[in-house]
Amino acid sequence: MTLQLNVNGINQTVTVSDGNMPLLWVLRDLLGLTGTKYGCGIEVCGACTVMVDGQPERSCDMDVTSAVGKKIVTIEGLSANQSHPAQKAWIANQVPQCGFCQSGVLMSVACAMKAGHRGSQIMSEVQNLCVCGTYQRMKEAVKAL
Amino acid sequence: MSTSPITPTPAPATVGRRGFISAVAGGFTLSFVVPEFSRIAEAEGATLGQVNAWLNVATDGTITLTIGSSEMGQGSFSGLAQILAEDLMVDYARIKTVQGVPSVAPVAPVGNSINTVGSSVTRTNFWKMRDAAAIARETLVQAAMNSKGDQTRSNYTVAAGIVTHATTNTQLSYGSLAAAAALLTPPTVAALVPDSQFRLIGKTMPRQDIPAKVDGSAKYGLDVRVPGMVYAVIKHCPTFGGTMKTLPATPSGMLTVVPTKVWAGTGRGTEVADAVNAVAVVGPNTWDTWQAARRMSVSWNIPAAATNWNDAAFVATGKDLALAAPAYVAGGANAPGTLYTVEGDAASTNTALAGAAKIIDATYTLPYVAHACMEVLNCTVSYVAGTSCEIWAPTQGGKAVLQLAMAITGLTADKIIVHTMYLGGGLGRKWESDFVSQAIQVAMAVGKPVKLMWPREEDFTRDQYRPMAVIRGRAGLDNAGNFVGFSYRNVSPSLLGQRGSVLGPKGDSQGIEGANDLPYNFGPHVVEWVSHPSPIPVGFWRSVGASLNTFGVESLIDELAFAAGQDPYMFRRAKLTLPRWIAVLDAAADLAGWSTLPPAGHARGIAIGTAFNSIVAQVVEISNVTATGLKVNKVSIALDCYLSVNPGQVEAQLQGGIVHGLNAALWGQQTFVKGAAQAKNFNRSRMIRQGEMPQVSVKIMPNPTAADRSLSIGGVGELGVPTFAPALANAYYKLTGQRKRSLPLFPGATMSEL
Repeated sequence: MTLQLNVNGINQTVTVSDGNMPLLWVLRDLLGLTGTKYGCGIEVCGACTVMVDGQPERSCDMDVTSAVGKKIVTIEGLSANQSHPAQKAWIANQVPQCGFCQSGVLMSVACAMKAGHRGSQIMSEVQNLCVCGTYQRMKEAVKAL
Repeated sequence: MSTSPITPTPAPATVGRRGFISAVAGGFTLSFVVPEFSRIAEAEGATLGQVNAWLNVATDGTITLTIGSSEMGQGSFSGLAQILAEDLMVDYARIKTVQGVPSVAPVAPVGNSINTVGSSVTRTNFWKMRDAAAIARETLVQAAMNSKGDQTRSNYTVAAGIVTHATTNTQLSYGSLAAAAALLTPPTVAALVPDSQFRLIGKTMPRQDIPAKVDGSAKYGLDVRVPGMVYAVIKHCPTFGGTMKTLPATPSGMLTVVPTKVWAGTGRGTEVADAVNAVAVVGPNTWDTWQAARRMSVSWNIPAAATNWNDAAFVATGKDLALAAPAYVAGGANAPGTLYTVEGDAASTNTALAGAAKIIDATYTLPYVAHACMEVLNCTVSYVAGTSCEIWAPTQGGKAVLQLAMAITGLTADKIIVHTMYLGGGLGRKWESDFVSQAIQVAMAVGKPVKLMWPREEDFTRDQYRPMAVIRGRAGLDNAGNFVGFSYRNVSPSLLGQRGSVLGPKGDSQGIEGANDLPYNFGPHVVEWVSHPSPIPVGFWRSVGASLNTFGVESLIDELAFAAGQDPYMFRRAKLTLPRWIAVLDAAADLAGWSTLPPAGHARGIAIGTAFNSIVAQVVEISNVTATGLKVNKVSIALDCYLSVNPGQVEAQLQGGIVHGLNAALWGQQTFVKGAAQAKNFNRSRMIRQGEMPQVSVKIMPNPTAADRSLSIGGVGELGVPTFAPALANAYYKLTGQRKRSLPLFPGATMSEL
């Protein structure tokens, strides 16, 4: 089936053989937006988090058909030139280690900010898994947000 | 199927083949050797002497450092750039680091690979990097001296990549000197910047790879896209040691199913060379292919012995061997179950212990633990029959990947390119190359570029785990609380043995590290290691043997301290014989406020240990113990690595290592039923999330005022791990009066959806 998606403000046409294909794999394999990561596939780790109509969604378990008609923002569309305040804070505080989970973390942070959370409130909304253990620096980084 | 175009993944820059120094259009290039470090050099054969880093100063002033090691979040690339910039006397921001392409060439100038293991990249490259930078700087200065016709070196100064001729007040940039420098023979030695004038070494500097890790642009192995690429999803026999019975038919919509065999040298334990232990389904995209693999039924031959491969049996065997095992015989078969004496003497220790006033005889058990890197195992291969093979892999061993590709394809090294991609965690697992061998086999079978992925469930159930261990410690005290003897025996499956090494009289160095050469005044003592016969594949897991033995040793020391009625910090302090250890212990205790009582309902535990030439101590403070959990409130850690290049990065690595140790100590465990791993995803392998992060305080012992190059610099990346578990268990005892001798503390914990 052929579907229309709005990703990072751009209308995209994708053709899938399985309407249950999760948004994650549409983004990564069909649209080449590899910034969104696969970690667990069962909505536990949060590496695949994207913003859908302003809300955090685990794209590994969201059927692509249910994303039609919604505004999808991925890490690639979060800002131009790493200019989102969370991205700036992440660089300033040298948060990422391996970095693999951080796209999902930053999208979760961006959603929490969009929902009106500020400072340390943000991290109570962001429970993504980071195997490197960058939590302390995340906590420092959100203080300025 | 997608109609969207595939964007090729830009390959990391490839450096051409050059002489030791040569004139090239882009300026001058200095190739230099950095020591290759391998934890299993004895098994793979050391290949020291090849060139594995390049420094290029281009005529436009760009300075490029090409590095053979891997970046997996430990920040080594930036650390190396920092070291280079110091002695090259340029701004740190001017150094561009580039991932090199490995080679097996025996001599300069082709090669470029070092293994990224053993917390080694910064510490083993420190002096070589400095020497290379100083030699390059002096070659550029020589070019300036020739240009000015004044050969008196003291008439020149260097700063920020500019050579100034004082007499004429002329300034010459490195870029303008590069072409002339390329024609010179560089000096063999050059003066280093004195420690007192360091601008960069010992200073916290930003990592170069971080900006790309906040906008999705960093390319990990799993992100590789090659034009015309198809997708492969691996499906292993769920039981270790199992092999394919019949090749299943290709599922509808898929391209093919490829049987993959255990390539010689990549299988461990149960996985023997040439056995087909997996099939790869090949299809048009990850999801469709993965679903086809899930639905596809494969019949397997299961080894009869697998019936007995379960945790209770492994522990029972370990306990038997902890009590009695036949000793190593030189030239003998020394089958698994053999006892090796690593240090000291059992007879004199037993005699001494017979006279002890108090004896602690304790058995500690540790489980198998998976690596669980955030990025699952994967590899992309583009193969043209008889012509070329290009590999993109998140690997900690680029050169091993190249050698493997040569063996599988029969191609010579010049026909193979290995791109080391960013690693979404390595933790020791991505030193292995089983997944790479599978991707090459599939690419050769399908004749198209292919990206092979292990779904998370395969990654968990087909790991090469941290070895399980049964550790028996017996130690005695006199009435004054002095040691009278110390006996330590670790029974665990052999990392080196599963990699084909024939063990010598001291057994497996990887299995016993952290328990030998300890600076405690034990009196008569013996350290023994017994090879456990479990065939479950084991691998190098962040901090390796130290993660087992520091728990065993420091739990036992703690038990002795309480048996002696002494404060566990002061007990250790009185018995350590090396001032550097005592200083680290003091630093951790001070940081934790050991001399003041913790808040009501809290308790602290302490532990000290060593790994990779560093000394580390931790104090863990806990509260809220229940039957199912506890709260880790604070962790205070002190590290003596002799010399730290980037303290901010050291701090980050210690914080991360503590989390790794914490996850394992509280919950980490892979269990087995009839040879099949049971925890298949993060929901069954609990780890902390943000809200559970303890406050971590870090003390890095100060750098020497003038570093002595004859002294070893210590590792950092794995040092947060080993002392966490014993400090936690010791705090648990202090708080509850219950001694935890078995890890994890809370087996079977689960993690729910976000």
